[in-house]
Amino acid sequence: MIRLVAGLLVAAVTLALPAVLDDSALAVYILLGLAAMVTVGVSLLMGYAGQVSLGQGAFYAIGAYTAALLALGGVPPVAGLVAAPVVAAASALVIGVPLLRLRGHHLAFATLAMQLILLSLAGQLEFTGGDIGLQAIPQFSVGSFEAGSASAYAYLTWAGVALVMLVTHNVIASRPGRALRALATSETAAASSGIPVGRYKLVVFALSAAFAGLAGGIYCFYTGYVAPGSFPVLISIQYIVMAVVGGLGTIWGAVVGATAITLLVQGLNSLAALPGMPSYAPSVLSYAVYALVLIGVVLFLPHGLLPAVAGRLSRKRESLRAR
Amino acid sequence: MSAFLTYLLNGLAVGCAIALIASGLVVIHRVTGVVNFAQGTFAVVAGLCMSSLLGMGLPHGLSEVAAVLVAALAGLLTGLAAIGRRGTTALSALIITLGVGVLAYAVEIVLWGDQPRSAPGLAGSVIVAGARIQTQHLLVIGVTAATFVLLALFFGRTYLGKALTACASNPYAARVVGIDTRLMGLLAFALGGLLGGLAGVLVTPLRPISFDTDVTLIVNGFAAAVFGALTRPVITLAGALLLGVAETMAAGYGYGSHQLEIALGLMIVVMIVQAGRRPAVTQEST
Repeated sequence: MIRLVAGLLVAAVTLALPAVLDDSALAVYILLGLAAMVTVGVSLLMGYAGQVSLGQGAFYAIGAYTAALLALGGVPPVAGLVAAPVVAAASALVIGVPLLRLRGHHLAFATLAMQLILLSLAGQLEFTGGDIGLQAIPQFSVGSFEAGSASAYAYLTWAGVALVMLVTHNVIASRPGRALRALATSETAAASSGIPVGRYKLVVFALSAAFAGLAGGIYCFYTGYVAPGSFPVLISIQYIVMAVVGGLGTIWGAVVGATAITLLVQGLNSLAALPGMPSYAPSVLSYAVYALVLIGVVLFLPHGLLPAVAGRLSRKRESLRAR
Repeated sequence: MSAFLTYLLNGLAVGCAIALIASGLVVIHRVTGVVNFAQGTFAVVAGLCMSSLLGMGLPHGLSEVAAVLVAALAGLLTGLAAIGRRGTTALSALIITLGVGVLAYAVEIVLWGDQPRSAPGLAGSVIVAGARIQTQHLLVIGVTAATFVLLALFFGRTYLGKALTACASNPYAARVVGIDTRLMGLLAFALGGLLGGLAGVLVTPLRPISFDTDVTLIVNGFAAAVFGALTRPVITLAGALLLGVAETMAAGYGYGSHQLEIALGLMIVVMIVQAGRRPAVTQEST
């Protein structure tokens, strides 16, 4: 009952926010939604399939470039937005067949390498526009309706977040979801119980890539340009930080983590923009925050923020009941 | 022919620098089981430190040694964060060292700004069999060779080195005979910092170094270390030299823009081949 009310409340606030926020706050709100979308995928991959990807930004980039190239080629934006997650997932399937034979730190480095290769290629190839990237991407539109305002993009983004969360929820609750939890603890044990380990890992990898691709697609329509510089390695690390902070393997944790980190970094950015602060303050503060939050959470809240808070609340409730 | 020899020797020098970083990774991974993502950071810290110290007028030699010691201290601090707290798993420790690397960005930008910095090394060049080689390149090769010999002596001949090796081969048995594995782990991190710092000090005169150079350094170092499955130093050295020569040849013969892809592609292929040879059970139990 409490869960239902809380869910409805969150949904109502999410829907009401675009109407009251101004444009600069909406920009933060949209980027927050996009980050949450990718983080849900990272959380699914790390928490349920037990795989670390340091290259999730690559799929974000693939989604963004796909949608941008299609839109510039005259394809309707809706088709581009649908193609973004599909192409991202397809590339994850192709890349994943060799890469997912690796595990642990090997996989982490291989995915990082994949993103570096991709960025380097995107910066050199002709059709991706080189280092300058692709510009003048048309606005997102459905039929005759054109998403010109930031609030339209906010609704689009959070509809995407809702879709991603729904899909993830259904995956986790299904039989394959239980299989995933089993293979995260021990692949050997899972394989002995008849779980097709390789295939399931690949599907989750592709699913998380699709989430990142969808976010990338929306991103390119919102900003109107994509360039290799928009997808640095740090962006992939940022998704890991968000997933770890929120709590791996929890859907809401990913959203909480993305919200907490985005708001924290935004707050510090406005602090750094105050007069008298040195010019390097914004980047220094955001690096420091990512690092300290990541180290602190891994050391002291290994299950993440949301499970820690929820656990404390339920313990308090129990102790009240015991009295 | 002389161009080929120049590329070869330059490549060996680049490979030696990679080997130093990779050997730091191997030392830390052998003893603690942790892959240290901040390994490239040590080199960057040492390089930037050295450029500052030289800029302040300190003589050569002193500045280099001081910078390497600072890197060793950075290694020790990283170790404290990564394995200082009991019950930290290897993968958590990897994520922590990732955090340390990002934290170092913040510190480095505050102290040194975000522009690349360089430092003077050994000037001049010598002619070897008709090929012109910068003296600094020869210095890199010489120092690396000496370092590997010293490392071999340290691990094979001294009590401390043998204790470290004991932790690497069986941590439980090492504890039983009274070796403090946590202390040894911290020592390994400090040694890793030292090796990384050495690489940084040697490389900075060759190519300018900035706060985010560490990604290239660590990726190359890791690529070399996977040749030796992150445990065997000699194969790591061979891998690093191969990588350095391959990259320099690629750059020399006109594929310079694809240098990074070659290194990374090679690394992924080696890892996949290795993973195919080991059954999943042995990988999970470690």
